[in-house]
Amino acid sequence: MDKKVAIITDSNSGITQAEGKELGIRVLPMPFMINEETFFEDITLSQEEFYDKLESGADVVTSQPSPESVMELWREVLTQYDEIVHIPMSSGLSGSCQSAMMLAEEFDGRVQVVNNQRISVTQRQSALDALTLAGRGMCAAEIKDFLEKDRFNSSIYIMLDTLYYLKKGGRITPAAAAIGTILRLKPVLQIQGDKLDAFAKARTSSQGKTIMTGAIRNDMENRFGGVSADNIWLEVAYTKDLDAAQQFAQELLKEFPGFDLVINPLSLSVACHIGPGSLAVACCKKIH
Amino acid sequence: MTNTIDAKILAKMFLAGARNLESQKEWINDLNVFPVPDGDTGTNMTLTIMSAARDVAAMQKIDMFSLCKAISSGSLRGARGNSGVILSQLFRGFTKSVREKETLTIPMFADAFEKAVETAYKAVMKPKEGTILTVARGMSEKAREMADEGCGDLAVFFDEIIRCGDEVLEKTPEMLPVLKQAGVVDSGGQGLMQVLKGAYDAFLGKEVDCSVEAAAPAPSGEDKAARVKAEADIKYGYCTEFIILLNRNFNIRTEMDFKAYLESIGDSIVVVTDDEVVKVHVHTNDPGLAIQKALKYGALSNMKIDNMRLEHQERLFKDEKAAPGTEQESVQKEEPMPHKEVGFIAVSVGAGINEIFSGLGVDHIIEGGQTMNPSTEDMLNAIEKVNADTVFILPNNKNIILAANQARMMVENKKIMVIPTRTVPQGITAIINYVPDLSAEENQELMEREMGNVKTGQVTYAVRDTVIEDKEIRQGDYMGLGDHGILSVGGDISGVAFRMVQEMMDGDQELISIYYGADVTEEDAQALREQVEKAYPSCDIELQYGGQPIYSYIISAE
Repeated sequence: MDKKVAIITDSNSGITQAEGKELGIRVLPMPFMINEETFFEDITLSQEEFYDKLESGADVVTSQPSPESVMELWREVLTQYDEIVHIPMSSGLSGSCQSAMMLAEEFDGRVQVVNNQRISVTQRQSALDALTLAGRGMCAAEIKDFLEKDRFNSSIYIMLDTLYYLKKGGRITPAAAAIGTILRLKPVLQIQGDKLDAFAKARTSSQGKTIMTGAIRNDMENRFGGVSADNIWLEVAYTKDLDAAQQFAQELLKEFPGFDLVINPLSLSVACHIGPGSLAVACCKKIH
Repeated sequence: MTNTIDAKILAKMFLAGARNLESQKEWINDLNVFPVPDGDTGTNMTLTIMSAARDVAAMQKIDMFSLCKAISSGSLRGARGNSGVILSQLFRGFTKSVREKETLTIPMFADAFEKAVETAYKAVMKPKEGTILTVARGMSEKAREMADEGCGDLAVFFDEIIRCGDEVLEKTPEMLPVLKQAGVVDSGGQGLMQVLKGAYDAFLGKEVDCSVEAAAPAPSGEDKAARVKAEADIKYGYCTEFIILLNRNFNIRTEMDFKAYLESIGDSIVVVTDDEVVKVHVHTNDPGLAIQKALKYGALSNMKIDNMRLEHQERLFKDEKAAPGTEQESVQKEEPMPHKEVGFIAVSVGAGINEIFSGLGVDHIIEGGQTMNPSTEDMLNAIEKVNADTVFILPNNKNIILAANQARMMVENKKIMVIPTRTVPQGITAIINYVPDLSAEENQELMEREMGNVKTGQVTYAVRDTVIEDKEIRQGDYMGLGDHGILSVGGDISGVAFRMVQEMMDGDQELISIYYGADVTEEDAQALREQVEKAYPSCDIELQYGGQPIYSYIISAE
C-alpha cells in the first residue's frame, strides 16, 4: 500500500497559512526579529506591518525557525502521515536547510529534507510539484530525489527600486559591490538556484523590465527547452507594490502569450534585504 | 604640356595641399552650421592630413608605393572628426588605386578618384548629400569625363576638376537646407578644395610652402631637447605690445627713427601705423625703454608685457606632464591592467562625467568630446591599454563614431565593438544596460536598443549670429540643442535649459538626468532641478555634477 506523504514548506514559499490549508501543504512560519522582538510571518506579522516597520527604518533581521518548532511540527504531522517531504528555503540563502537536514536524522528516514535551492515563487512551485508527485504514489525519498534533480530548472530575476536596503543589510555584498556608482540605479539581481547575485543594472523600470524579460526568454530558449507554455511556469513576484506587479504580468503575457502566470508577494526574508518596490519574474520547468 | 607626374611631384603636391588646408583651417572652422563654440572641421581635417604629411616629410627616398603607404596609414591613424575620417578614406582609396604605378596619367587619376569616392562612401553608414562626399564625387565624375574625352594635359585636367569642385561646393546649400539657412557652404567640402588647390599650385610650380615638420622617430626626447635649446636661445625676454594714441605728427621719417631705436633694444618688431594710432610689438630685455620712447609720440593704451622665458618654462613643464612616455605612462606599464574578458573605453570630458563612467566600469577614458575629437590613433592607443579580449567603445559624440569605427577595422588581435553613442547620456545608458552574462553581440543589440530610448539636450552658447530652423540666434545667446536640432534659444541659461526639457518630454519618460557643467553653480543647478521636478512630478529627477566645459547642461530624458 502507498505510504501517506505530507508536504511541508516554510513561509518563504509565499504560501499563506490559509492557502496551505486549502492545498494540503503545511507551512512553517519564518521568524523575524524586528527591533529585537520576534514575529512569525503570516501569524503575528502581516505583509503591511512588515513593510511599515521596514520603511520606518526598523532593524529587521531574519532568523531560522527554532529546532524545537520544526521538530514539533514534524512530530505532530507524523501522527497522521507516514512520511514527510520538507522543502525549506534555499541553502544558499539560509542555514535552515542545513539545520533541518540534521534534525531529520533523528526521524529514521521518515522526514526527507529537500535541498533544491529554491526560494519564493520557485519554492512554492516545488511544494506544489511535491504534492503532485505524492498524489502519483511516490514515497518521500523518491520525491526528494526528483526535486533535487530538478533543482536548476528555475530562474529568478529581481529588479530593485533602490540599492538602499541591499547596502544596509550588508549581507549580499557581492551584488552590492558590483555596482559602485554615484548614479541612482535599479540593480537587477538573479537567483539561479543558489544565492542572490548581481545580474545587470538599469536606470529606469522600463529598462529593468526589458532586461528581465530578455533574460527569462534567454533561459527558456537555452536552458528549459524552448519558449513553450506547456513546459514552463511563469511567475511574477513583488515587494509591496501589487499594482506594478499586475502591470508587469500583463506586459509579460504579451511577450509570452498563453503562459500560466501566477503573481505572489516575494517572501519577506528576501524582501527585508531588497526593500519595497521590487519586481521579480521567475520561471520553472513544469513536471510531466 | 605635362601629361604624367611621378612620386616626387605627388609628394610635393600632397604636402602643399596639407599646408594650404592648415593655413585656412580657422576660416573652415567658421563654416560650422551650428554656431556652437566648437566648429572644428578645419582643425580636424588639418590634424588628419598633417599626421600623414609628417610621415611623408620624413621619407628618405620617395617612391610611389611607400609614398602611398605613408599617406594612407598616416591619415588613417590621424583621422579625427567625421570630415577627417572621410578625408582619410578618400586618401586610402586614392592611394590603393595608384600605389603600384611608377608615374600617373590622367586615366589613372580618374580611376583613383573613383576608387577614393567609392571607399569614402562605404565608410559612412548613411552618406548624406551636400557634404564633402558630394564634392568629391562631383570631381571624380568630371575626371572620368575628361579622361574619356582624351584630355592629355594635366594642368587643364586639374584646373577643370577644381573648377567643378568649387561649383558643386557652391551648390551644397541647395542640397542641405541647414547650410542654406546658416548661409554657409559645407565645411568638409571646403577643406577638400583647399587641399586640392594647394596641390595644384605646387603642380604649377608656384612658390608654395611645403615645409612640414617631419615625424621624428623618437619624438618626446628629441623634441624636449630642442625646446630646451630654444629656451637658451631666447635673447630678448619680454614680449611688449602697446598702442600709441598719437598726439603729434608721426610721418614716415619718425616711423623709421622709432623702428631703428626698437631694433637697437630688441627684435621681432612690428610697427603698424594708422591715421591716429600706432600698433607696436617688440621683444626686448628692457620694455621700459620702448615705453619711454613711445610716450614721446602720444598716450599709450592696451599695454601688455609677458615674460617669455617664464612662459616657456611653464610650457615645458606642461609638456612634460602631458608628453607621452613620461612617468605616468611608465607606471602604467609596470602594472599592466589585469586581463579581462570584456573591457570598456569611453570618450568623455569633465571630472564628474569621467567619474560616472569609471564608476560604471569603464576601464579607460579618452579625454575628449565635441571640441577635442580624439583621433583614430588615440583610439588605437586606448585599445592597446585595455587588456581585454572584447573591447566596447562608447564614442559619446556623433563626430567621433567614425574614428572609432576606423580603429575597429584596424585592430586584429581584439574584438572591438563600437556602440554608436552620440551623446554622453546615451553612453551612460548603454553601459548601464550591459549584461555580463550575455554575449558581446547580444549586448550590442541591447545597448543600442536602450540608448535609442534616451533623449539628450545640451545647453551651450552661440559664437556668432545665425538663423537655424527659423530660429534667430545672436552671438552670446544660449541654445538648447536636442538630438535633431535646436530646441530653445534665449539669454538665460536656466530658462533655455528648462524650455529645452519641455521640448524633450513627450509623456513616456520616467527619468530626467541633469549633468551640470563647469560654468554652472550648484545652486543654479539645484534650482533648475526643482523647477523640472515641479513640472514633471511623475518623473524621477537626478542631478549630477558633470564638470564638462562649454556645455552648461547636459540633460537626458528616458
